[in-house]
Amino acid sequence: MIALETVNLRVWYDNKEVLKGVSLKIPENVCFAIMGPSGCGKSTFLRTLNRIIELNENARVEGDVLLFGKSVFKMDVVEVRRQIGMVFQIPNPFPHMSIYDNVALGVKFNRLARSKRELDEIVEWALKKSALWDEVKDRLREKASCLSGGQMQRLCIARALAMKPKVLLMDEPTANLDPVSANKIEELIDELKRELTIVIVTHSPAQASRVSDYVAFLYMGELIEVGRTEEVFENPKNELTERYLTGRMG
Amino acid sequence: MLRKIKEKLFLLGITIATVLTILPLFHIILSVILNGLPVLLERGLAFLTDTVAPPGDGLGGIGPAIVGTFVLTFLASLMGLPIAILTGVFSAEYPNSLIGRATKTLLMIMMEFPTILVGLFVMDIMVIPMGRYSAVAGALALAIVMMPYVAVYTEQALREIPRIYREGAFALGLSRAIVVFRILMGMARKGILTGVLIGIAKVAGETAPLLFTAGGSYRVYFAGLDRPIGAIPLLIYDLVQQPYENYHQIAWGASLVLMLIFLAIFLPIRLSIKEVKM
Repeated sequence: MIALETVNLRVWYDNKEVLKGVSLKIPENVCFAIMGPSGCGKSTFLRTLNRIIELNENARVEGDVLLFGKSVFKMDVVEVRRQIGMVFQIPNPFPHMSIYDNVALGVKFNRLARSKRELDEIVEWALKKSALWDEVKDRLREKASCLSGGQMQRLCIARALAMKPKVLLMDEPTANLDPVSANKIEELIDELKRELTIVIVTHSPAQASRVSDYVAFLYMGELIEVGRTEEVFENPKNELTERYLTGRMG
Repeated sequence: MLRKIKEKLFLLGITIATVLTILPLFHIILSVILNGLPVLLERGLAFLTDTVAPPGDGLGGIGPAIVGTFVLTFLASLMGLPIAILTGVFSAEYPNSLIGRATKTLLMIMMEFPTILVGLFVMDIMVIPMGRYSAVAGALALAIVMMPYVAVYTEQALREIPRIYREGAFALGLSRAIVVFRILMGMARKGILTGVLIGIAKVAGETAPLLFTAGGSYRVYFAGLDRPIGAIPLLIYDLVQQPYENYHQIAWGASLVLMLIFLAIFLPIRLSIKEVKM
């Protein structure tokens, strides 16, 4: 089944067109990587999927994004973001809240738990899923700001997972992490994609080849190539893709 | 050689300028302490609780004025803070809307606005129709003076929060109200609190807005919201103009009390302001 589909997606910032008609199908329960050099529109693409791009007043979107066949632009934006979680490039847990509250927040305010006990269970489940539980189970009431960068990023993953989304968007989730922490996140992606669809943006072809089942290559706002990761990497059909993969293009 | 002399002269120049700038502050503090402390020491705690003595006959105390300052500041906060904080939120959330942009400019003007005109305004809309000075009128004038400070600090505190936290909150499917009031304001709470305290410290020492609104009352403690009320700055202003030596002494004592109240609010702000950054 197709989890997400974009139809001729175009995005402008003011008058500058940064996404020039991208049509993609993202199957369910896979890790789908969007790669490309910086400024190619990959982050913009990701931010359109959960409509977080609408926070930017200068952005204008055309085309459509279908979530399991339903246009996200016709859905309530709150509902869209409940079903499509997001993890950002810079770990952004709320520093004034406890570890527990960071994970519980979305569940609580969206009224997804019926009791305190259920909420506790969801928090524990999400922290276990994000491989953080063992490190924080004795200090759930401590401020999130006391965690390391890698732990913060896993906390953000837990925060998103707690909402039980169908899709998880990750915008260069390891770009600001040390190699060990980055490695942990990649292992986590491998685990998580069994249960939900992951769309990850990365500027590193190496990371795309390690974590993804499918990969799309964007260049200057256009979709150059898309396919199963091993096929694209072993046998790129487009010359631009080949140049990018072999490091001849930044 | 010449270059070195020039450099020395320049350094000397800015040092003198700096000292000249700060000198009045030390002069004020010193003269308030030198003249006010004997009064406080002579009367002890009674200075804080008694009422003003008759002309030429002892010191008495400034109890009603102190109570008046606290009542006025409290009432002004009650009226001004909620509106001011909401204004700050609006201005931070919708900075590009027409009203948002206008609000910001107007707040800046309001901050610099001569406070005596605020007093005249309140006199016009409240004191004249009511037919007398009153605590509510004084508090309203102070609330108007306080609001732009609180609103601007609230706006800045919210704007200083990096964009990633807003995005993170919205990405959780939270509504704008929850994002702003539960998350962003929680993160900005120190900055907002700083604004609130600065607003309070500012109005606790204001005289001009009270001249035509509060009226002053130094022998009767709080008489009711619709009755005239005293305030320490107003008391100082009134007493200094009297030809009695003992009134001048009371005024010095009152100045010291006012300075202590002001410092008690301001010092914690200055000390905590470093923590505002995340």
